[in-house]
Order: sequence, then structure tokens, then C-alpha cells
Amino acid sequence: MTSMFKSTRATGGEDSPERLRVLADEELMQLVYTSRPDAFEVIYDRHADVAFSLAYRMCKQRALAEDVVQEAFLSLWRSRARYDGARGSVRTWLLGIVHNRAIDALRRRTVRDRGIVDGEGIEERVAAPERTDVEVARREEAREVRHALAQLPGEQSRVIELAYFGGLTHVQIAQMLDTPVGTIKGRMRLGLSKLRVTLGDPVEAVQ
Amino acid sequence: MSAQDPQASPGGCDGNAAPYVLGSLTEEEHTQFVLHLESCAVCREEVASLQEVAQALPALAPLVQAPAELKDRIMATVRQEASLSAPAAHSTATARGRSTPAGSWLGWRPALAGAMLAGILVALVAVVLGSGGGGGQTRVIDAQVLAPRASAKLRVSEGHAELDVADMPQPTAGRVYEVWIVRAGTPQPTDALFTVSASGQATVGVPGSVSGVKEILVSSEPRGGSSSPTRAPVIVAHLS
Repeated sequence: MTSMFKSTRATGGEDSPERLRVLADEELMQLVYTSRPDAFEVIYDRHADVAFSLAYRMCKQRALAEDVVQEAFLSLWRSRARYDGARGSVRTWLLGIVHNRAIDALRRRTVRDRGIVDGEGIEERVAAPERTDVEVARREEAREVRHALAQLPGEQSRVIELAYFGGLTHVQIAQMLDTPVGTIKGRMRLGLSKLRVTLGDPVEAVQ
Repeated sequence: MSAQDPQASPGGCDGNAAPYVLGSLTEEEHTQFVLHLESCAVCREEVASLQEVAQALPALAPLVQAPAELKDRIMATVRQEASLSAPAAHSTATARGRSTPAGSWLGWRPALAGAMLAGILVALVAVVLGSGGGGGQTRVIDAQVLAPRASAKLRVSEGHAELDVADMPQPTAGRVYEVWIVRAGTPQPTDALFTVSASGQATVGVPGSVSGVKEILVSSEPRGGSSSPTRAPVIVAHLS
């Protein structure tokens, strides 16, 4: 995924906050690599809402989502030497960490707090304002993905949502739906393949 | 894949690519599938294809503003660590992809054993049970460290681990330290790469759960990290 931010050339030395904010993520990461907190702060400001939104959607608890996002950003900071722009955008990398950490948190909670019903803080949701063109683009992307998901048979969209946002293993989903494991895997694969087509990939969906 | 299941993936690879990209494999299956990917081009291609779609799924989450105090906490930690950390090596390489391993993990063992016999390694001396900051029980493990005078402790709490190192030399130019986890004899890479401060200190979280992990290793790798260790470990922490 390419960066949505304008690319300018990163330079060494001190930069004003205004100058840092026009740099592309990849250029900011070059500065973060040299342990620059001011560059990392721009990365944070740019992606914190999206990261928190994913964590909150998965965890459904504000405190747990905060813990997940904190772990993810600190992991990004501490692993800054690993960043390679050729392998994906900063946003993709960050959201991958958020997703993995949220799954860890959900599975730990499942063991420890079995029986606790989710739903705390649903009313706390506050839509972030559309402050920038980037956020407008994100909302448009969200509409496209929601539309694509809605085109799937319910059995396919459900297993994708249970797996990705619910943090459930395919085995747990199979038990929950009283369906063979192989069928659950097949629904995941077919659903993702169809999403790929609907979202504009030229490769045809698996039949 | 179930052989009689018409919906499952072709290729005799258990149809694990889709649950893999959705994060839906069990921990054991995940480990096995990552190993499988190294030798199966079909699955690698399928994962790459499906991964692009999975990466679009976060857009489905309703947008919620992150709390302001969360930023304060994160940036306070970042600024504190930055003040302790020497700048990482100056960027000279244009590519920081995973490097090709120069040798296998099995090849490390004799070298490591020799180093230990020569007294270069500091022996593991203690496993201490203490109280963690979060109120849960924390196990503190003294790790073996190759560098003279350097030390490393692994703190394990609630299935997660954090490595504290002290008096470690900086990795040589163009290299970083990489954390590896060993479950079944083969070290698996993590996204934890680090350098150390001017005084040789660093604190590194070990990503994911350490449930079932037998050893945590650290080796010096080319900047950007490696998918398989290219050098013998400089830190070894035994969890079991």
C-alpha cells in the first residue's frame, strides 16, 4: 500500500513541526530511525485514530484498546530499525501490529475472563471529524470495503468478521457455528477472494 | 484441508492461507504454517494475494478518536527512550529487506558450545521469582551473554516477556540486534530489532506470547533484520 501523504525529501538536522508534517511516512521513518521523537510524534498523530479504531472495534473495551495501541506504537518505535518501505506502508505495518496485539489480548482475556460480556463503552464511540482530505479518503475507503463485504454471502462475511475482528481461531468459529473446520477455512478463502475482486483487483475470484 | 471439502483450498496445503492472513490460526498452527511458507511457493503466492484484502479490513472499524492522554503516555516513553538511545547507524543502505541466511541455526550450536566452554559466556545463574509491577507474578531469568561485562535479564509475566540488557556493545556498523524465539528447535524471527544506548542499555519487548517458547535469542543481523539467523546468538535466555 502506498503512502497517502505527499512525498518530499527528508533532510538531516532539526526540522520544524510544520516541515515534518509535510513529509511522507517513509521519510519520517528515516528520521525515526535516528531516534527522533518529533518525527515519531507526526507518525503518531497521523495514524493514532485509525489504530485506536481498529483496537476498539476488536477489544470493545476502551482501556484494553488503549493498552493495545500503546503496545503497538511502542513496538513500532522500538523496532524502527526493521522498517522497510518496500515491504509496505507504515500504516499497514502499524495496523498489523495492532491486530496481532489485539488478538493476543482477546485470547488472554478469553481464558482469564471467560463469561464476561463485551459491549462496555459502545456509547463512547465518537466519530472523529473529517479534518483533512486524508480522512475523507479513509472514509471513502471504508465505504468501499463495507460495500464489498455486503456483497458477500452472509456465511462468508460472518466468518471473516469473527476471525479478523473477533480474534477467534477457525477452530473456535467452527465450534460456534457447528460447521466443519474445512468449511470455515473455505468460506474465509472464498470471501477474501471475492472481496479482492470487488475492491478492484484484476485477478479473478476463486470459483 | 479436508479432502472431501469442495470449498477448501487446492494444493494439499490445508487451506491455511486465509485463516493465516486473518490471524485465525492457533498459535501452533501459525508457527507450523510460517515454516511451511518457506518451502511452498503456492501458499506464499496465495498469502500475498489474500493479505492485500485483509489489509483493507481495518477500514471497516468505525473511526474513533484516540484519547489525548494516550498520546501523552506513549510520547513520554518515546522521549525517555530516545534520550537514552544513541542514534541508530546512519542510513547508507537503500534496501533493508530480510537478508539471506549465511548458515543454519544448527550450525550455531557447536560454535556456541565452544564459546561456553571457553568461558566467554556468562553462565545462567538464577531464576528469580519476584513481584511484577502490574501485581502479577513475574519470573526474572538471567540470560547468557557473549560480551564480557554485559548482562541481560528476561522478565516474563502473564505469557509475555521483556528483555533488559546492560553494558552491551553497539552492534557493528550496518547491523542491529534481532530477537528470536525458539519453540521447536528452530529460531523464529520477531519484529524486535534494537540498538543500545551510549551506556549499552536497552529494553525490548518480545512480541507475542512466549507460551511454549524454550529460548529467547538475540543475534547481530544486517539492518532490517533477517528471516533466519546469520550469526551465532550473543544473548541466550532459557525459559524451560
